[in-house]
Amino acid sequence: MTSFRLVGVISIVTLIRSFKMLMFFCLFLRGGLELLCDSVKIHNVDLEPENGEKQLTMKHLLSWVRTNLIKERPEMFMKGDSVRPGVLVLVNDCDWELSGQLDTTLEDKDVVVFISTLHGG
Amino acid sequence: MEGEAAAAKPKGRLCVICNQKRAALKRPKTLEQICRECFYAVFEEEIHRVIVDNQLFKPSERVAIGASGGKDSTVLAYVLSELNRRHNYGLDLFLLSVDEGITGYRDDSLETVKRNEIQYGLPLKVVSYKELYGWTMDEIVKLIGMKNNCTFCGVFRRQALDRGAALLKVDKLVTGHNADDIAETVLLNILRGDIARLSRCTSITTGEDGPIPRCKPFKYTYEKEIVMYAYFKKLDYFSTECIYSPNAYRGFAREFIKDLERIRPRAILDIIKSGEDFRISTSTKMPEQGNCERCGYISSQKWCKACVLLEGLNRGLPKLGIGRTRGANHETSKSIKQRNGTTDSIQSKQCGSLDF
Amino acid sequence: MSCNSQNCCQSGCYKDTILDDREEVSLALTNAPNEMPFNSVSAGSGRNHPENSVLCVKCKLNESMASTSAEYNTDSDISRFCGNCFRSNLYGKFRLAVSSNALISPSDNVLVAFSGGTSSRVALQFVHEMQLKALKNFEASRDRSLPVFGVGVVFIDERSSLAVPTLEFDKAIEDMKLIVSNIAPPAKKLHVVPTEDIFPLDSIDGRERFKELVDAVHDDTGREDLVKYLRMLSLQKVAQDYGYSKIVLGTCTSRIACHVLEATVKGQGYSLAADIQYVDARWKIPVILPLRDCLSQELNILCNLDSLKTIDAFKGHHSGINALITSFVKLLQAENPSRESTIFRTAGKLTPFRFNRMPEADDLNSKLATQRRQKKYNLKPNESLPPESFCRICNAPLKLSDVKSCNLENGTLSAEVIRDKCCMSCQFQVLPKDTSVLEQFFSLFPQQMEVQTEYNSSSEERLQTLR
Repeated sequence: MTSFRLVGVISIVTLIRSFKMLMFFCLFLRGGLELLCDSVKIHNVDLEPENGEKQLTMKHLLSWVRTNLIKERPEMFMKGDSVRPGVLVLVNDCDWELSGQLDTTLEDKDVVVFISTLHGG
Repeated sequence: MEGEAAAAKPKGRLCVICNQKRAALKRPKTLEQICRECFYAVFEEEIHRVIVDNQLFKPSERVAIGASGGKDSTVLAYVLSELNRRHNYGLDLFLLSVDEGITGYRDDSLETVKRNEIQYGLPLKVVSYKELYGWTMDEIVKLIGMKNNCTFCGVFRRQALDRGAALLKVDKLVTGHNADDIAETVLLNILRGDIARLSRCTSITTGEDGPIPRCKPFKYTYEKEIVMYAYFKKLDYFSTECIYSPNAYRGFAREFIKDLERIRPRAILDIIKSGEDFRISTSTKMPEQGNCERCGYISSQKWCKACVLLEGLNRGLPKLGIGRTRGANHETSKSIKQRNGTTDSIQSKQCGSLDF
Repeated sequence: MSCNSQNCCQSGCYKDTILDDREEVSLALTNAPNEMPFNSVSAGSGRNHPENSVLCVKCKLNESMASTSAEYNTDSDISRFCGNCFRSNLYGKFRLAVSSNALISPSDNVLVAFSGGTSSRVALQFVHEMQLKALKNFEASRDRSLPVFGVGVVFIDERSSLAVPTLEFDKAIEDMKLIVSNIAPPAKKLHVVPTEDIFPLDSIDGRERFKELVDAVHDDTGREDLVKYLRMLSLQKVAQDYGYSKIVLGTCTSRIACHVLEATVKGQGYSLAADIQYVDARWKIPVILPLRDCLSQELNILCNLDSLKTIDAFKGHHSGINALITSFVKLLQAENPSRESTIFRTAGKLTPFRFNRMPEADDLNSKLATQRRQKKYNLKPNESLPPESFCRICNAPLKLSDVKSCNLENGTLSAEVIRDKCCMSCQFQVLPKDTSVLEQFFSLFPQQMEVQTEYNSSSEERLQTLR
């Protein structure tokens, strides 16, 4: 939310872009989560915001990741409609707890990192 | 477009400490929003305070860091060598690793520890199950199967660390147990009814009566912060589950702790505080500690647990010493049964970790 | 499994196999906590007779409850009794708790706190049965020297903090009156008291004040806990106003198991032992927990068995941390039916406080009891000092090192000073952070609490006043 006011013109450009085009994200899986996706750590994905939506939230991204990326044991990654407690999420290297967790709005070329704290010690 | 996107990134909220940079994380302990640099500073300072306030070390001591290659021990090795330099602790630090002999797991994580040896300039000592016990975990699993193998691994690792520490002639052994681990242990001891362990498990230093005291400088450090620190500092750590207990993550208790943390982050420290404050009368003591008649390791029984397990392996009776068994060595198995006989399903952090 | 061939030994191996099975099942559960494959366990472990007629393990005459009704076909030992033996066994636990801890003496007038739930319903029933027996003994005895203790019932009307429709509420209270009037003779007085009665009569709108006080707490768990503390104050007030000498709570093993974890998670490890004993005499009117050794499962079965009416309208719903713990314990209990008892036993090993025993009574046995207690004092001489101080909000005993020393001046205390006299847990989850709001919060607090906490400065002095 706050991001839009701050970024002004440029964000509108992004918005228009995202209306017609796909949004591009770079997802990193770390801390053992890559094991749930055939050990692939970096995923470049293109996503289309849902019908009528002007932007994409983490909530959407998560459900997309769950259906499209996670190959096994989704319960290690998700619990309910959020990540399993113990999985850290960073959007552009910033703790998602600062940006509203599931309500965090994503923009084109955002980098999202998921780190599991549950593996190993 | 690249530059634009970067410029378009929200500035977000500012760090509450420096009020200059963009906050990068929310501290679970204080709920403060702070930037990376301030996070490094408070994270390191807090551990320094824990070390000083609890007098964990004395100048010129030799200290081994139990290093598994995982997040906790990697961050511990990094921070400890940093603090040692910064605050002139005057410690001789070593990395101590245990090679369980698990192909595709430990050999990879040992590579991480070996890189840490170079990165942090800390001498590394690796003790292996093979050289200590004559068995690798691969061989043990081949014999006993996938069940109970964690029992062997846990018992052997604990002793292996002590043996390695003795070889390094260190005065202390530090492990990477974090606040989440300790809170989990408090809960597990309540769930199991183990009042003796409940009274000890929150001590920052244990085994002071034994040959090598162990301490936990991360006792008050949240797992989340350790992982964030490792991520931001791009520390090289290894995070793969053990191939012999692929699903052994953590049980109910861990899940519960993480659920709790989401509702009320401070609950983790509150559990530790409860653990410290429980009114446990001093008369509930642990059994007298003696020494194992066979290997000399500290033991409350005639033989230490490792020797009983080893005897079973060597005689082809691998069930010896696990749960309720009736092996040939009836007397020994009976005494072990009393201590370890309960087949309890609630388990704590099992693998890849350094046992309590 | 532990032996390869089934016939190597006859008796022991079977057990081992089961144990291993159980282990496997629970391991599977660890992986997928949402699934509960426990039917397999109960099928394998409990009763090895598939046929439906199993005799009661105690009287060996009647059929066990497991065989008479599928409803009671649970995994625990409970179902191996017949109805009568189960009932007398459960009542036996209650009676043992009462007699061995001198919870109720003939001169007492006890007040049973009845919430409408199964636990307090059973507490009420058992207290009644005990009273009935005492009455029979009294009538049979020649000299009639021992009086029969009196029983009253109280329901704290919490509609100011609960979202139950008024109509439903009134109906439930009517049901409750009916229940209590049916538990006679001897007849029992039912006090239905609104929570806001803890405020002095002259305060204008008690209910508003109560709401304001509770709403000032931002933490969900804290709010729920505050209502619980206030409930105890209500009980205390009713007991004092109507001359009761003991308050009976229906707190059972299962509830205590949850409380153990709740207290642990809230950092109340020090004060925990105070809350879970048979006797809690830190209050002006001692509180007793005679159902401390009974499982909620057992209490539910008894209500079912004897058609004891309960009222669901007031069924407590938990929120926040308390809710999380309730579901966690449920999960643990499903995985191992004795988990609640184990948690309870662990906490039972913690050292109780001085006020966890009955203060001196005036009856004939007191002399003997005094001697017994004296002995205890001698055993732990260091326990007699120093005096405890108690949290201003929840009345938890405070750990000395946690109490900030401050000079107690005569007259009013500033809000900050009072805050320092609260336990860490209340400071965090109940008290408002803002100092100006805090002042308002303390001013809303029932006066009774202020007065009552004064006693707490010395526990010894309190015991004196209790006599």
